[in-house]
Amino acid sequence: MTEMPISSVRKRPDWTAPAGAVLTALLIALGGWQLGHGLYIKAKAQLAQMLLDSAWEDSLRTGTPHKAWAWADAWPVAQLSVPRLEISEIVLSNASGEALAFGPGHMSATDLSGKGLSAIAGHRDTHFSFLKELRSGDRIVLTTLEGGRTVYSVTGTQVVDAATTTLDPAAGNGLVLVTCYPFDAVARGSLRYLVIAKQVIS
Amino acid sequence: MRSLPHRSAQDTGPRDAIVFIAALFATLVAVTGLLTVAARADGAAARNGLVTLNDVQSGTLLLKSKEPGKYVPAPLLATDAKIEVTGPMARARVTQRFINPGDGWVEGKYVFPLPEDAAVDTMKMIIGERIIEGQIKEKEEARRIYEKAKAEGKKAGLLEQQRPNVFTNAVANIGPHESVTIQIEYQQTAHRDGDRFSLRFPMVVAPRYVPKEAAAPQVVDFAPGSGWGTTQPDRDDLPPGTAHPDNAKDLTQPPVLDPEEGKVNPVALQVSLEAGFPLGKVTSSFHKVDIQRIGKEGAKLSLAEKVVPADKDFELVWEPAETAAPTAGLFRETVDGEDYVLVMLMPPSGAAQPKAKPREAIFVIDNSGSMAGASMPQAKAGLLFALDKLKPEDSFNIIRFDDTHELLFPQPVRADRENIAVARKFVNGLSADGGTEMLPALKAALADRTPGDAAHVRQVIFLTDGAISNEKALFEEIARHRGRSRLFTVGIGTAPNSYFMRRAAEAGRGSFTHIGDLAQVKSRMADLANKLEHPLVTDVTAQWPDEARTESWPDPIPDLYKGEPVMLAARMDKAQGDLTLTGELDGKAWQVRVPLDAGETRSGIGKLWARRKIAALEAERLMSRDYEKADAEILNVALEHHLVSRRTSLVAVDVTPTRPDGEPLESRDMPVNLPEGWEFDKVFGESAPAPVMHKAMRAAPTAMLASAEGPIADTAQDRGLALPQTASDAPGLIRNGLFTLLAAFLLMLLWRRVTRRG
Repeated sequence: MTEMPISSVRKRPDWTAPAGAVLTALLIALGGWQLGHGLYIKAKAQLAQMLLDSAWEDSLRTGTPHKAWAWADAWPVAQLSVPRLEISEIVLSNASGEALAFGPGHMSATDLSGKGLSAIAGHRDTHFSFLKELRSGDRIVLTTLEGGRTVYSVTGTQVVDAATTTLDPAAGNGLVLVTCYPFDAVARGSLRYLVIAKQVIS
Repeated sequence: MRSLPHRSAQDTGPRDAIVFIAALFATLVAVTGLLTVAARADGAAARNGLVTLNDVQSGTLLLKSKEPGKYVPAPLLATDAKIEVTGPMARARVTQRFINPGDGWVEGKYVFPLPEDAAVDTMKMIIGERIIEGQIKEKEEARRIYEKAKAEGKKAGLLEQQRPNVFTNAVANIGPHESVTIQIEYQQTAHRDGDRFSLRFPMVVAPRYVPKEAAAPQVVDFAPGSGWGTTQPDRDDLPPGTAHPDNAKDLTQPPVLDPEEGKVNPVALQVSLEAGFPLGKVTSSFHKVDIQRIGKEGAKLSLAEKVVPADKDFELVWEPAETAAPTAGLFRETVDGEDYVLVMLMPPSGAAQPKAKPREAIFVIDNSGSMAGASMPQAKAGLLFALDKLKPEDSFNIIRFDDTHELLFPQPVRADRENIAVARKFVNGLSADGGTEMLPALKAALADRTPGDAAHVRQVIFLTDGAISNEKALFEEIARHRGRSRLFTVGIGTAPNSYFMRRAAEAGRGSFTHIGDLAQVKSRMADLANKLEHPLVTDVTAQWPDEARTESWPDPIPDLYKGEPVMLAARMDKAQGDLTLTGELDGKAWQVRVPLDAGETRSGIGKLWARRKIAALEAERLMSRDYEKADAEILNVALEHHLVSRRTSLVAVDVTPTRPDGEPLESRDMPVNLPEGWEFDKVFGESAPAPVMHKAMRAAPTAMLASAEGPIADTAQDRGLALPQTASDAPGLIRNGLFTLLAAFLLMLLWRRVTRRG
């Protein structure tokens, strides 16, 4: 009976220890997964652009679309560059969530020949984070297999709510770059940041 | 002993409390993390919706709301259709009345279907007593004319083709409580299957999403006869387990009315039928009709209910009386000094069914990731059904493909019981995964080891959803290496790339079958199997008297299966001399001579020819890379024959402005009914992305965007592209990851302190 307090003191961590260890391990695993996955998304975005670059070179050389990897469901259709910011991105054939993980995507219901309205969407936290630095008058160069090289000049930017706004693909000639807004938000939202550019007649 | 826990609890209480608080904090952080994961899943669902909107090829989906009264301020529409059938030709006059019940000026837009082979040639706008005839113009020009008239406050109508079988009709500047009537006319041919003639008047554009449980077969039927296709099949591979990939890409979709709100768009319909032979049974497949016989060969029909909601297609079927239907038909028309002829010829059939040749069947099955979900079981069931239909004297092989491909047997084997058993096991073991590399599989399927073998018919049966990127390469492969093989495409799932598959089957001289759900597998595959077993006449060729100056479609002429007539439309300088059709029937040469000058004159033959030529040019355009040349030719043909096409529209403008300056114009889309048998919630779901609401596109040149503002805008609908989700989870994940690790670290420290003290 008298030993009991001692043994009880020794035994006390018995319920906290495993629980604490398990909880800590769980948290480390969860945190590690979250951090790792977040970094993986960023890394994937970077790496994919490198692979896409070479696929795009192939496409330009042969005049036919080339996929960057065999199982890709989107393929490079254009190159988007902003000379002032030294930005160059390969644009993929659609703006599905899957494609956007690898690069900006062309909203395929819009034009890509330079003769109508082209819209390209990209992630605000990777490929299209540079959109916040675009100013009126900036040149954007879009090179496509169909339409060759088209130069646009930024005419303005606009923040809209995707829940109440849509894009009219027949609204004329120009380029619209779409990304989420605000740029540093953590959660997804319905606000979109649009960069609107007009074709430069050369 | 009893008291011990008490004591220890008292002693360690505060420390335990700290651990507890830390654990709570950690749990909170972890929950935040999990919530992010959950939000991500939600996001994925919403994204799927948006992706689909975003990928619509022409125009876009217009959204719907379930709120009662949603469409109250929208213009109303009434449709009256009159169809005249003479022989195999039908001419339809569709009158649509746009009524504005509101107090403002509106623009009404209506999306409506027409038969795929409809040659739309006339549009009239009727305002009071005046009739304004629509002019055929290049699409962009027509739109400019329309937009200009709209901005100037003039009444204007614009009829555009969205897909070969989906058209939009827009009317600008309908005043308060005013109505404007638009009348369109088109020409088509009756469908013939054996002695059965039929005609379809589509009434509703089916929403892209086919609910599995609620599909009424006749409504879901839309796909086989439609051009729901895409020139850029940029479909996303959905993760396995995604129950209903919502990925029809290419319909312009009008707002769909919740049936709870009652039906709109009443339709009245009348048909006058002159069969050209003694009539037997005349039936309407889906609507109650009053039929009045006129003489032996004619009938007049109208809907028994006078007016029905436009929620299911109208189909009329007629058969000859005891005497057999004519086996040949020849109709001609002279337009601008050139002769056009339409030839219809039934090959011999009936009791003396020719013995079918043994077949060499090559099945190709797509087991790529895009087939995951409901599609794979359908494809498997279809293939298993087809295997059962093989006879021991047939031979077969199976090729499966994703981003790799694999032949079941190194070469085609006899369809004996053992081989079929091996094949069944192989098919049952297939699962959907990986990318879609169709070309190598197609090459393997077309590789014919015995190209000269005339004793067997070689059939390639391709089961896929057609989620592919390299259509042109595939068409080239088919055209170049088809040889004696015939290509039959079977489109799987609710939204297969039927445009590609239909054209592929045409290039491969076979046919296209669509299987929309598991319940259809049996009937559709049975129809196909019946066809496959009885190729009646093969290698049909036509020799025209003046071969060099005759242009005839389709080209090449497809094989004929049981019940199918040869249908040719041709243009030549002078329809005289004999057309000779040759082919192979039951292993013997088959030849028929048609004296061209014997044809009966009918108007509209030239337009039908032009419609067929445009269809052929559209297919060619995909194969050759010369888009501009093909487009220019399509434009020429369409302008010459006054037809609406992908490149041309009909536009009518009233010269007098009616809308006073300063009065705003609101743009409204006409809601359409959900096809009968469909459930609103199943099609659109509770979790459909938030309705995209917007205002009229302003005429200002810079107005690329239309945003919703004010109470009216909330109910206004317009065409536009949804903006996709463009944030990745990376920042949130990284933040939460860091927080969670920090929490873990804190917890570890606390726990150490606790244990050390202990």
